[in-house]
Amino acid sequence: MTETLHYRLPWQSSSVYPGAHPGQMIGAGQLFKRHEPLIASPDPRRIDLRASVLDPFSSYRVRVYQQQSSVNVYLIADMSASMGYADKQQTLLRFLLTAAASAFDYGDKFGFIGCTERIEHRWLLPAGQHFGRVSALATQLERLSFTGSANGLQNAVAFLPAERSLVFLLSDCHFPLPQLRAVLGSLQAHDVIPLVLWSQDEYAALPNWGLISFQDMENNATRTLFMRPALRQKIIAAYQQRQHDLKHLFRAFGCEPLFITEGYSTQAINRYLQQRTA
Amino acid sequence: MNLAVNSPWALSGLLLALLPLFNSGMRTSPAPWLTLMPGDKLSVFVICCLRLCAMAAIAGLVLGMAGLHRTEQSRERIGHGAHIVLLLDRSSSMDNTFAGRAPNGSDESKATAARRLLTDFVEQRQNDLIGVAEYSTSPLFVMPLTENKNAVQAAIAATATPALGFTHVSKGLGMAISFFEQQPVTGSRIVLLVSDGAAAIDHDSEVKLREWFRKQQVRLYWIFLRTANSPGIFDQPEDSRDDNAAAMPERYLHKFFLGLGSPYQAYEAESPDALKQAIADINRLENLPMHYVERIPKQDLSGTCYSIASLLLLVLLGVKFFEVKR
Repeated sequence: MTETLHYRLPWQSSSVYPGAHPGQMIGAGQLFKRHEPLIASPDPRRIDLRASVLDPFSSYRVRVYQQQSSVNVYLIADMSASMGYADKQQTLLRFLLTAAASAFDYGDKFGFIGCTERIEHRWLLPAGQHFGRVSALATQLERLSFTGSANGLQNAVAFLPAERSLVFLLSDCHFPLPQLRAVLGSLQAHDVIPLVLWSQDEYAALPNWGLISFQDMENNATRTLFMRPALRQKIIAAYQQRQHDLKHLFRAFGCEPLFITEGYSTQAINRYLQQRTA
Repeated sequence: MNLAVNSPWALSGLLLALLPLFNSGMRTSPAPWLTLMPGDKLSVFVICCLRLCAMAAIAGLVLGMAGLHRTEQSRERIGHGAHIVLLLDRSSSMDNTFAGRAPNGSDESKATAARRLLTDFVEQRQNDLIGVAEYSTSPLFVMPLTENKNAVQAAIAATATPALGFTHVSKGLGMAISFFEQQPVTGSRIVLLVSDGAAAIDHDSEVKLREWFRKQQVRLYWIFLRTANSPGIFDQPEDSRDDNAAAMPERYLHKFFLGLGSPYQAYEAESPDALKQAIADINRLENLPMHYVERIPKQDLSGTCYSIASLLLLVLLGVKFFEVKR
């Protein structure tokens, strides 16, 4: 795993453990935070003489610095049947391994919550720093064929810690908007990074002419379409409208989604992450 | 439209025609979320059509196997025409030419000329019921009264076989008249006698023929194909000793016909052209309105069923090639 996700926090982590992200703790750091009395922060090396002289109570003022803290990184993955389409499952696995490796590189803890019809314990990985457990989970996931719907997403928040964490939400968002609204509402305490996984095969790569019988992967309904250029344009337009609606909804919850439609690329996600913190 | 089948139990296979309702027969492609796909009326229409095609194809095959047919029917029709019985002389003298010789390249025989002209005649009389009888030593029943012109023409063509010996005209006439029994009296009834000679009619036959002609209201046309130098119908005997039925049968037969009381017309044809003229006369005269019952035979529809089914299957096969699998 050579590629790393360069995620940065636009907020301060409340974690007490030193790490790589701006935190609320004070300690060994480079960024001046405030002055404190010597009694609160007994470090004579950091006594600020000028501030001490100017202090009306004539006490010693000590400069304290912001400590770089760690953050808990979670990946909430939609494991419904529609995520088994084309190469979405492979993308999920690659992203799982990349994100876990990046988190461990930063010294952060990484956890995984897989959501199907409900949340199953075998697809839960509590925040930790063992890559072995992540890769074991990945091998298990590789063998799994996804079934059912993504209703479990709404309960994912119960498995997240109380303090603000960084949450990657990886889904194809193929469920009704109210359901997505409920999911995002429940995750508001956390920093959510929505990654919407679509495949070109779903809409853009449809043929211009022909009869196709589609079977829904989740409810097994079938619909036969007589494909022709006009209908293909209509389908593409429907997907674009859906993309527009999704963006609108995500923005209402303060997060900009990243649509992964042309195959997985860590670079593309990194570019998006950099724009996000800028 | 009276439809029937040969083996009704095979119709239980019609239940199979419901199969396309449950199975489209297409390979499905996975779709992540069908709700996103916009609805399309044309697709629904096309699919409905294909389902109907498939159902019709199965139904066609089953009906074909069950042996669908249309039962025999009769239809009442009204036309201008007549019931005509062609009574043909099959004596061997008919195989000679009008000049009384065996036919060679330039002259046709009397039988050939009659055959050719009668074929044309039948062709023109589209609404008639025509029957064919022949006589020589004894009467030959050939074809009852029918509207099937092909059959009549085939019957006329069959007289091309070599002819037989004698001329027994009274029995032939009896048979021709018997054709009209159990036929409704509509239009005109004609016996068209084509002969090249005559024979004496005995007394008993004369009585019977008189009665039958009166009862059946039959008109008689006699086309006498006169051979050169032979006695004609209208010839007066030169010698009163020859004035008897044995010596001049043509004259006496003509006299007998005149005395029948029913309409009678005689033509003496001495060449193919005269024969043609006589037939044209009859053609012009006999056009009274008549109504008759046309019988339509049982029609086997299983072939149609199979061809419709195979056509539909061909369409479905073409659609199958049009199918996309992803």
